[in-house]
Amino acid sequence: MTSHHNLRTVFTFELHRTVVKRRFWVATLIVPVLIVTVFSLSYVSNRSAHRAQSAQRHASFSFAYTDASGVINESIATRLGGVRISSTSAGIAAVKHDRIAAFFAYPAKPAIEPIKVYGADVGVFNNGKYAAVATQLLTASAAATLATPVIGVYVRGAVHVTTTTYVNGVASPGLNGLIAPLLYLLVFYLLIALLGNQMLTSTVEEKENRVTEMILTTVDARTLIVGKILSLFSAGVLQMLVFTIPVVIGYAVAGSALSLPSIDVSSLVFALRPMVIGALLLLGGFTLFTGTLITIGAMMPTARDAGGFFGAVLGAIFIPFYALRLIMSHPNALIVQVFTYFPFTAPVTDLLRNAFGSLSTLTAAAVLTELFVIGAVVIRLAIRLFQFGSIEYTRKLSITTAVALLRRER
Amino acid sequence: MSEHRTTAVDEVVQIEHFTMAFDRHTVIGDLSFSIGRGETFGFLGSNGSGKTTTIRALLGIYRATSGTLLINGRPFAPGNGTQLGYLPEERGLYKKESVIDVMTYFGRLKGMAHDQARRWSMDYLERVDLAEHSSARLDRLSSGQQQKVQLGVTIMNRPDLLILDEPTKGFDPVNRRLLFELLDEQKRQGTTVMLVTHQMDEVERLCDRIVLLKNGRAEAYGTVTDVQDRYGGLTIRLRATGPIPVSPQYTEMRRDGDDVELAVADGADPAAILRHLVESGVSVSQFTTGRRSLDEIFLEVYGVDRGEPTR
Repeated sequence: MTSHHNLRTVFTFELHRTVVKRRFWVATLIVPVLIVTVFSLSYVSNRSAHRAQSAQRHASFSFAYTDASGVINESIATRLGGVRISSTSAGIAAVKHDRIAAFFAYPAKPAIEPIKVYGADVGVFNNGKYAAVATQLLTASAAATLATPVIGVYVRGAVHVTTTTYVNGVASPGLNGLIAPLLYLLVFYLLIALLGNQMLTSTVEEKENRVTEMILTTVDARTLIVGKILSLFSAGVLQMLVFTIPVVIGYAVAGSALSLPSIDVSSLVFALRPMVIGALLLLGGFTLFTGTLITIGAMMPTARDAGGFFGAVLGAIFIPFYALRLIMSHPNALIVQVFTYFPFTAPVTDLLRNAFGSLSTLTAAAVLTELFVIGAVVIRLAIRLFQFGSIEYTRKLSITTAVALLRRER
Repeated sequence: MSEHRTTAVDEVVQIEHFTMAFDRHTVIGDLSFSIGRGETFGFLGSNGSGKTTTIRALLGIYRATSGTLLINGRPFAPGNGTQLGYLPEERGLYKKESVIDVMTYFGRLKGMAHDQARRWSMDYLERVDLAEHSSARLDRLSSGQQQKVQLGVTIMNRPDLLILDEPTKGFDPVNRRLLFELLDEQKRQGTTVMLVTHQMDEVERLCDRIVLLKNGRAEAYGTVTDVQDRYGGLTIRLRATGPIPVSPQYTEMRRDGDDVELAVADGADPAAILRHLVESGVSVSQFTTGRRSLDEIFLEVYGVDRGEPTR
């Protein structure tokens, strides 16, 4: 009863003081603000690029051309404002003396030789219109030689393909089945990246403020640490919501205008097995990393000393990406197997393998057991080190001392 | 050492055969003492004598190498029934939080309801002239104001046992006065107090019993009078001219010009000593009896500068 009361008290205090800090909101809002900024810039850029491309394709200017290939259709060229001439040097001279805006020299084999384009300089961005019109003239002329226009579509490969694959006789979800389990990986990264430093420093604060003895004689260390972990996790969930909701709303309201990849949410597949395993891997990974970060914090005298270890932790969660292709294509490769079972690379590796469908239930069970058991041991270690080591106000707790303390504890 | 074990049945603190070693270095060796309910107990010793280590072991922060350390009959753990007020030597609070939030937090952890903790905190802050700073961050307060808040947190929710480790360390005179006012109040309410201090005048005024810790062992243990008796018992201070004759009734301890201090032998009568001096031709102009101060005893036991014994 007292323990629950104290756990609730610690949780409320820690969560409250976390979420009222300006730093928390800066860290929380920076992601959606960056996303909105990038999307807005992307939107504006896409619109202006689209307009520019369109304007360039339909640009009207006088030009001359020579055609060694014999592909160019004269009537199309005339429609675009072009005149055929026979001399390359005359065309270049005409451009130089501003008699025409541009001159295109089509080679004998445009497929392997470049089309040479000469034009009056109208600025870096507008100069693109010459190449655009020269290419369009060649494409349109080539298409005009085909039996039907639709052949041109086939030649360009501008066709839609739908693929259906089967696993054990059942249609597999394909890409739509990857997205949902991969969201766990995103959540894991965000939790560690945004909250990792807070996890490191959450126990250092007691030490730096010299409040350790007062707090440890008022509430037991386990309640304090568990309360801190729960409050950090809740702060993480809050952060997820804060930057997920605007993204979802933004996508729903203006997704099509932002040239985002077409994501049909209704087609996403939330298969039970990968979703459950993904959730457990996320929880197990979070437990292990939180315990580790708090353990480091309990051993360090100041936040500055503890902060140095954050890079190492980030390294551990990014290392599996060096083997991403192997993880996706050859899950039995030795390095993938090492990453699969090594506790600090397992969450990321196995979240990827879970999403890509190469994580067997047996392997998942083994890794989850490992993560939760080691996570629990590390959290217990963190509690003990905090309890006995945090009195070392001004110096690092050496490994030897830590082992001695734990031995005495046993 | 002559150990006067308390006969009080209702002992709040019991420490028996406590030994503490770090890396094979024994800090405390076979220490035993107890503190009765409602008693104010002085836990004395020079720097590095093991006082803070003993307190940390008593409170479960350190694990004892051997021995028994009990509060209210069992090893202390937060929430096991003992209301503890502890002011550690290394002290501080959550500096980036507001005064009222920190006090309410500790009040809640000490078992008070949220509103009760907040109300008590506001009353206390009113009393110590800090009510207007209740919403301020602790690090915006002066160190003296922070000390007041710390004291408030220590005495929240009527502690059964108050452990004050060097409570006046770093305190300004105003806060020292406040501390002793609060201590007197707690005593009147029957709170058991374990006081670690180098202020011997405070010990003489406040403490019922004391233990003197030296090199991790109890050098002396008992009432203040017991300890004074052990370290010289009765003394005579006199102003006299002429040499002091040798006598089995006393020992000349110190002479500074005409000011002389004699240690009275066990069973000797001060009046007989005065008669003996006068009859021996010593001209005595002032004659007072008393006990040696704890300050003097402390200096004798620990040495003036190095904590080295003088005998």
